[in-house]
Amino acid sequence: MYSADMMFSGFRFKAIRSGARAGTGVTARSAALLVAVLLLAGLLNAGPALAQMLSGEALDAEVRRISDGLRCPTCQGISVNDSDASFSNQIKDKVRRMLMEGQNEEQIRAYFVSRYGEWILRAPKKEGLGLVLWVLPGLLMLVIGFWVGYKVYTNTRENIEEQQQELSQPQDDKSGLTTEQLQRIEKDLKRYEELD
Amino acid sequence: MNMLKSWKFWAVMAGITGLMGLFAFGFTKDPRKVPSPLVGKPAPGFSLVDINTGEQLSNETLKGTPYILNFWASWCVACRTEARVLEHAFQRYWKGQQLFRVIGIAIQDTPEKARAFARNFGKTYYLALDNESGDIALNYGLYGVPESFFVDAEGVIRYKEIGPVTPRSVEEIMVPVAKKLPYTVPE
Repeated sequence: MYSADMMFSGFRFKAIRSGARAGTGVTARSAALLVAVLLLAGLLNAGPALAQMLSGEALDAEVRRISDGLRCPTCQGISVNDSDASFSNQIKDKVRRMLMEGQNEEQIRAYFVSRYGEWILRAPKKEGLGLVLWVLPGLLMLVIGFWVGYKVYTNTRENIEEQQQELSQPQDDKSGLTTEQLQRIEKDLKRYEELD
Repeated sequence: MNMLKSWKFWAVMAGITGLMGLFAFGFTKDPRKVPSPLVGKPAPGFSLVDINTGEQLSNETLKGTPYILNFWASWCVACRTEARVLEHAFQRYWKGQQLFRVIGIAIQDTPEKARAFARNFGKTYYLALDNESGDIALNYGLYGVPESFFVDAEGVIRYKEIGPVTPRSVEEIMVPVAKKLPYTVPE
């Protein structure tokens, strides 16, 4: 097994042999380190592109997923993925080719938006006016939820208070009615008698 | 009467009125007319071969010449109505005045059927075919056929017509664009 130091010492040896000044070994090591860092950075940068290099079923699934987010240009309210219209098939084919070229979903969506406008996207973008469309339903649900919760809470509290009030009042032993209720009944009965 | 004093009643009324207003506004708009993001932008590149003469043409070779780029198909019924309008525009404004060219691109079609259609409807202007993948149609954001673009001498798309090209749009939009005169696109 070669260690990193052995590899770097190779660089240093070559530098000394070529008649370089003392200290060139350190410079060569730095250069090698720089090359390694750049290579790693390059690989990390290429990562997302490499990840998009799909094939077989994974590619089919990605084509279906991206096509599902695009609106069929010639149909009524269905996605490109759900449509078998010629245009939809050509769009699916284009998505497949773009994926095979290493383009990611964002780039593919941007391509179709540049040709068809935002209309082609089945879900609005989560920015600008689109963000309002995303947030508004949730906000409405939250407001309605709070309102219903508040109403239920206040009604329950009022009911409990009423019941407690009624229970706290003295009751007639035979009827189970409060004195106030008995007085009201008697008052009503008197009114009926007066009418007769 | 008490109902008229309730804020809830007026809130519901305001909601209903708002929704009705929204519907009314929606009915004033033609759902088929989706604004193209390509208008005002350089025409996407293309490379064509004439189905009759074999002449090659690209957006680069057309620089300096305004042109109608018409997408059509032999199976398209509406394309029949515009065939004579386009041929007339070609005869008058290209053959006669060298003002603008007319270029037809058949999509989802075969050369034989496209040629037969051209013969039947007297098309003599430049006619080519999109490839099987429909690359040109997708690059131009097509919804169907017929659809046409008017490209100015600088290669910028100035107008898009969804549906058959009409003599009115030729005279009132395309001719003024080609002559660099003011024009208005009807709503």
